Amino acid sequence: MSLASGPGRAAGTLADQKLYAEKHIDYIKKLDSRKDELEYWLTEHLRLNGVYWGLTALHLLGCPDGLPRDNAVDFVLSCQQENGGFGAAPGHDAHLLYTVSAVQILVTLDAVDELEKRGLGGKQKVGSFIAGLQDRESGSFMGDEWGELDTRFLYGALNALSLLGLLHLVDVTKAVSYVQKCENLDGGYGVTPGAESHAGQVFTCVGALAIAGRLDLVDKDRLGGWLSERQLEHGGLNGRPEKLADACYSWWVGASLAMIDKLDWIDGPKLVAYILHCQDPEAGGFADRPDNAVDVFHTHFAVAGLSLLGFEGVEEVDPVYCMPKAITSKVLSA
Amino acid sequence: MWNYRRRVLQHEFSQAVSEDSSEPDMGRITTLIQTDLQFLIPLLRSFPKCYWIWNYRLWLLEEAKRLLPRTVARKVWQQELALVGKMLSLDSRNFHGWGYRRFVVETLESLSADEENERSLAETEFDYAKKMIGTNLSNFSAWHYRTKLIQRLLSEKSASDEERKQMLDNELELIHRALCDPYDQSLWFYHQNLMCTFDPSKSGQTMAPNLTRTERLGYIHREIEEIQEMLDGAEDCKYLYQALIDCTLLAARVEQRTLDGEQKTQVSAWLSELKKLDPLRAGRWLELEQSLCS
Repeated sequence: MSLASGPGRAAGTLADQKLYAEKHIDYIKKLDSRKDELEYWLTEHLRLNGVYWGLTALHLLGCPDGLPRDNAVDFVLSCQQENGGFGAAPGHDAHLLYTVSAVQILVTLDAVDELEKRGLGGKQKVGSFIAGLQDRESGSFMGDEWGELDTRFLYGALNALSLLGLLHLVDVTKAVSYVQKCENLDGGYGVTPGAESHAGQVFTCVGALAIAGRLDLVDKDRLGGWLSERQLEHGGLNGRPEKLADACYSWWVGASLAMIDKLDWIDGPKLVAYILHCQDPEAGGFADRPDNAVDVFHTHFAVAGLSLLGFEGVEEVDPVYCMPKAITSKVLSA
Repeated sequence: MWNYRRRVLQHEFSQAVSEDSSEPDMGRITTLIQTDLQFLIPLLRSFPKCYWIWNYRLWLLEEAKRLLPRTVARKVWQQELALVGKMLSLDSRNFHGWGYRRFVVETLESLSADEENERSLAETEFDYAKKMIGTNLSNFSAWHYRTKLIQRLLSEKSASDEERKQMLDNELELIHRALCDPYDQSLWFYHQNLMCTFDPSKSGQTMAPNLTRTERLGYIHREIEEIQEMLDGAEDCKYLYQALIDCTLLAARVEQRTLDGEQKTQVSAWLSELKKLDPLRAGRWLELEQSLCS
């Protein structure tokens, strides 16, 4: 899965309200054939995330078999390290963020049992790797052995562990109280206690609380107000006050609003128009904003944003997990 | 890639420590760290949002703190504060930059913790936030930092309720002056932070948690008057109506009662202005309207 940007540009027009689903599907399917480009190798450090983004977008676009399943499973397993965690690509050090992508991919492909068959120590080992990254004192999570803290990791850990049915391996109560410490007076959340509210971090904190079953702790009116103020005149969403819009915030802001039942606090049709404006109708893919180069990250989050807004022809997404709702419902009810 | 670099350096450090077991080669460690810190500067300039470079840099600095004598380590970290200042003057909203600054300040404080004449940096940082706000009033990152620093400053000097109230009065005066441009969203978020002081469910996290009910109501009513004055000539500014509604609802919460008839009429009038001025968030205003009727 290439993370190289382009070749297309977001040349959609505002008047054009059509989603070029087939073009986007082709764009994603062809990403892996771009190994002769320098950028393919420069983005190796994100490869496993890239597979998750591409695969999920394909599912939401109604093409679940777009990537050869066996190849994808083989690739995921080849990224696993001795400690049970996953690296971005074979031979890369394990990190929580890639481990979460690995779990999400395996769950989406209904291939978690491959961990038992061919993985290093089954899902239990993956769970122990993640659980080992929790700071038992504060409840927060590190990304890897080098110790960086970020609420992204906390969310990722709860996401992956709940999908594996292994949430009991960590101290959820402490994780919840750590998230509460990251809350600001504007109702939003920051990357660590004391940090400014940021829409990406709001998503991870609210998502973590949703998985922990503690959405009652969110000040929904205040946070909903802050999130709805992310929408700009042209319909797009930004991540913090006075910043530029970006198609990926359709997801971070939109999913957060959906989790607290306030998605109707923004103008859905105008956001749809903005997202479609970010697509390349010829070569496929979405960019961060109109006229910029497309990439798989923005393609995934733009499609997921359209799904949240109930865009016709896009499969329903789970706002907590950013995976197809049909899949998470099945796995989590099991 | 960065992890390889870490492992190579870890090896070098351990050699510097073990070669002469009685006296570790501090000069060599300092040079290794300083050279690598220098190497990162042009990279950070080109990729100021790359998490991995910042993380790696932080790790280096942590190693400096762990391995070097306190005074040397402090020098390294002080250079870092200067560097982060420079980066923030190039991009005053860089998220990593601000987070990083908080972290550098915390570490510098811990490095000088046992020295008597060294004190908390809260005051100098407060001046820094002031300067950044002065350069650009819309810089919410700086306003956010200010909110946090005020809390620290007051608790560090164990401020009395009277001193806290004085600080609150200064902040209200400042925000009223800044709001001569009422169209700036960042200012209103800071205003909202200040209003939390009068909100019984939030005041515990604010600079003046112990105001009496009467004081709170007095402040809120003065605020409503102040905002109504701002409306003159800025009738198309949605934030003003929003703040008027928020303050009116807050006053009712403090008094633990529902809105009276007159207030309801007023709030509905402001709401209808909001619906006109802010159609993007029509759903929000509709929900508020419905909650008033119930």
